[in-house]
Amino acid sequence: MFERDDDVLERMIERLREPVEMDPTLDARVMTRVSAPPIRDSRLAAAWDWLRRPRDFSLTPLSALAAAAVLAGLALWLGSRVANRASTLARPDTAVVQFVFVAQGATSVALVGDFNDWDATTTPMHPARQGGLWSVALPLPPGRHRYAFLINGWLWLSDPTAPRALDDFGTPSSVVTVGG
Amino acid sequence: MRMSMWIVGASLAAGLVAPRAVAAQDPRLERRLDPDTRAAVDAVIDSARVAGLPVESLVDRALEGASKHAVPARIVAAVRRLAAELGSARTALGAASSSAELEAGASALRAGVRPADLTLLRQRRPRSLTVALAALTDLVASGVPADSATDAVLALAPSARDDQIVEFRRAVERDIALGAPPAAAAAIRVNSALRETGGGQHRKP
Repeated sequence: MFERDDDVLERMIERLREPVEMDPTLDARVMTRVSAPPIRDSRLAAAWDWLRRPRDFSLTPLSALAAAAVLAGLALWLGSRVANRASTLARPDTAVVQFVFVAQGATSVALVGDFNDWDATTTPMHPARQGGLWSVALPLPPGRHRYAFLINGWLWLSDPTAPRALDDFGTPSSVVTVGG
Repeated sequence: MRMSMWIVGASLAAGLVAPRAVAAQDPRLERRLDPDTRAAVDAVIDSARVAGLPVESLVDRALEGASKHAVPARIVAAVRRLAAELGSARTALGAASSSAELEAGASALRAGVRPADLTLLRQRRPRSLTVALAALTDLVASGVPADSATDAVLALAPSARDDQIVEFRRAVERDIALGAPPAAAAAIRVNSALRETGGGQHRKP
């Protein structure tokens, strides 16, 4: 009723062995695509080409001086910031000092002193959950440092646990001495 | 090519000029002081720098005044006064003194310590004077008469470590807080401290 399986298989093998007609230009087309540059996002490619394209422009000596001064200023500013930070962190005699203040009902307490350029925004103190206790810890280099607490952004108070400093501006200040 | 030459020339010119400009004007002062006050403070700082004095504490004093909303004349006067005290401290302590020593010395002079006693302290203590000078100033601020505080610190100076001087100061302040007369507290505590440091009994010179 049916052909034998071996016959079917034999015919398939013969069919597969027959030569296949191919487009004679196929090789050439494949090699062209292989050697072509990769396809890129057109906007990215345009930007990259724009950046690489040489161009001429003119600049007055005054503009060149201004540009150089801006670059030099930027370099000095960045350098001083890095150096200041590195010098404080790298000094082996720097000591971490814990500042604590009790200010019941205060909405903000800031530690302000020589060590943060008397800037009220630099070192905010952190409130404890209860008791009106505010604290912060700071690494300080050796020396005698003047400081005060600024309560709610307007009230200057000295540290009751530290020696008082003589003050030029009519507000209380304290001192902490670090190292030798 | 011509363009490159201009840029190189401009960079060199900026490099020569920029350090002087930065040295003359601290950007922190520029941000926090009005132009007139800044000019007056800059003049004091420039003079101090030329004299070889540490200027950071002068900048700090001006910033403190700005932060406390002091009037300009008061800020300038405070900076000028501190510069003079730093100069006196250097004369008393010697030209080789560190910035921290000069700043602590200036505070001691402000508190009423005599320049001659700063010189004596330098001669007696063969190490940094920062902590000793700070303790001396703090004792005076606590109410100990300047003479008594000076005698005590001079007695401790040759042998006591910095931490022992700090502990002495704290003990005196505790006694004062408990009601002891400041001069008596200093006299009693210095003998106790000297026994600990092996410095012998203190006698008023």
